Amino acid sequence: MQPYELSLSSAAEEIRARRLSPVELVDSVLERMERVEPRLGAYVTVTAGRARQAARAAERAQTEGRLLGPLHGVPMGLKDLIDVADTATTASSRVRAGHRAPRDSTVAARLAAAGAVLVGKTHTHEFAYGLTTPQTRNAWNPDRVAGGSSGGSAVAVAAGTATFALGTDTGGSIRVPSALNGVVGLKPTYGLVPLHGVTSLAWSLDHVGPITRTVEDAGLVLAALVGHDPRDPAGLDAVTHLDYRPTGGTDLAGLRVGVPVNYYFEHVDPEVESAVRGAIEQLRDLGARPVDIEIPMTRYIQAVQWGLMVPEATAYHERTLHAAPDLYGADVRILLEAGALMSAGDYLRAQRARTLMRREWTRMMTDVDVIAAPTVPLTAVPAGQETVTWPDGTVESVSDAYVRLSAPANITGVPSLSIPVGRDRAGLPIGMQLLGRPLAEPVLLRAGHAYEMARPARELSPAA
Amino acid sequence: MSAPDLTPQEAARWAERCGQPLRADRHVPVAATAQYIHSVVALLRELDFGDVPPAAAYRVHDREEEQFDAAV
Repeated sequence: MQPYELSLSSAAEEIRARRLSPVELVDSVLERMERVEPRLGAYVTVTAGRARQAARAAERAQTEGRLLGPLHGVPMGLKDLIDVADTATTASSRVRAGHRAPRDSTVAARLAAAGAVLVGKTHTHEFAYGLTTPQTRNAWNPDRVAGGSSGGSAVAVAAGTATFALGTDTGGSIRVPSALNGVVGLKPTYGLVPLHGVTSLAWSLDHVGPITRTVEDAGLVLAALVGHDPRDPAGLDAVTHLDYRPTGGTDLAGLRVGVPVNYYFEHVDPEVESAVRGAIEQLRDLGARPVDIEIPMTRYIQAVQWGLMVPEATAYHERTLHAAPDLYGADVRILLEAGALMSAGDYLRAQRARTLMRREWTRMMTDVDVIAAPTVPLTAVPAGQETVTWPDGTVESVSDAYVRLSAPANITGVPSLSIPVGRDRAGLPIGMQLLGRPLAEPVLLRAGHAYEMARPARELSPAA
Repeated sequence: MSAPDLTPQEAARWAERCGQPLRADRHVPVAATAQYIHSVVALLRELDFGDVPPAAAYRVHDREEEQFDAAV
C-alpha cells in the first residue's frame, strides 16, 4: 500500500509510530496528483512547494517528538471558498480574478494549528451555487458528474490526491459529491463549525465540514474544527464535546434507527433504495432497532430551501452582480438575477416555515436516535444530463434531484453523515445518510463507524 | 396562489426598482426563472403561521470582533 492510499487514521498511526514521515506522505500524495489530477480536474490550485516546506517542518517536529495530534503532517485539500492567507479564494469563478485572502479562515487556521498540510484548493461549482461541479470529473467514471458543489474535495479524497478535505454544504454540497464519489461526508450541526472566512452561499443554510475516506477520519477532522468563534454570528457557544473519535465497536444495541415511510424513498433509483435498505439491515444485524417514522412537512421542503437560499445568495452577490454580471457563469447568473425579484414576504414565509419545520423535526426525533435514508436518489449522471425521468413520468432536474434528500438537514440544521454503502451495476458509488438530533455527531459517527467496521474494507477509486 | 405569469417587462421594471437593472436581452430569461422560483415558494402561502416568528440567528449579546483574541 502506498502512503497516498492510507486513511487519515492509518496515516496518523504510521506517523505517530515513526514508520512514515510527513515528507513521505506528502510526496506520495503529490506524485499521485501529478499522475491523475490532469484527468480529474479536482484542484483549482496545487500548493506543492508550500506543502513540501510544511511537510519538512512537520518531519522535524516528528523527529523531535513534538506531534501536534492525528492531523500532524497529513495532506489536505480545502474547497476554494475557504480563505487561506496569501492565496486566492477563487470560488471557481472569474468574478474572483486577482483575489488574495488577507488571513486564514477559522477552519484553515485550526487545521494548520493541528498540523495538517495544505496541498491545494479544490474546485467548487461556481460560488457553491450548483450540484455538479462541471470542471471536475467523477473519480469512478470520467464521463459522470463529480457532484457538487464540493466536487473537487470529494474527488480528491476518493482518488488519493488528498488524505482528507473540507467542503461546504448549503443544500447538500458536502454529502452529494461524497455520495457520488464513494467517500464519507459530514455536514455538522448548524453553527458547530465556524464559518468565518468561508465564502457564503446562503448564511442561514451554510455549513463547513469534513470529507474523508472513513467515518473515523471524519471524527478526527471534526475534532480539530469545532469550538466557538465569536466572529461567527451563527456559532454555537456551548460546545464542550471535543473528542469525536467514534467509540463502541460494532455493537449498536438499543440504537433506534428511524426509517422514513415517506419522502426519502420516493423517486429513488431502485438500486440506490436496495443498497440503503441493505445497509439498514446491516445496522439491525449490529443491534440497532429500525423504527418507521413519518417525515413532517415534506410538501414544503423545496419551497423553504429556495425561499431561504435564493434571496440570501442574491444579497451576498449584489454588488458584483451589478458591476460585472458577465463574469458569472450562465447558470449562476440567472439564479442571482431572478433572486432579486423575490419579495421580503417570500423570504419571511420561508423563515417562519423553517421555524415550524424545526419544531416538527424536534418532535419526530424524540422517537429515534438516527434517521437512515439515501443521500441522493440516484448515482452520478453522465456529464451534461440535465433531467431525470422517474417511472411515473415525473421529470425532475438533476440539480433538484440531488438536493432533494439533503436539503432537510440544512433547513433544520441537524447533522447528517453520508457514508458509502455499495455501488450500482455501472460501478458508481451509492451513499446513505444518517441524520441525528442537533449536536448528535457522536451518535452518527458511532453508527457509521460500526457499519463501516462490519463491511469489507473499501478501495480508492481507480481515478480513471 | 395562482398569480399571473411575470412578463419580461414587469421583470425589467421590478429589477430596476430593486437596484439590479437588467440588460434588455436578460428580460425574458430572468422573467421565466423568477416565475419558476415564485411557483415553488408560493406554496408556503398555504401555511397558517399564526404567531410563529421567523427563524433567525440574532443574539443581542454577540461579542465584538475586536475582542476575539485566539484564532485557534
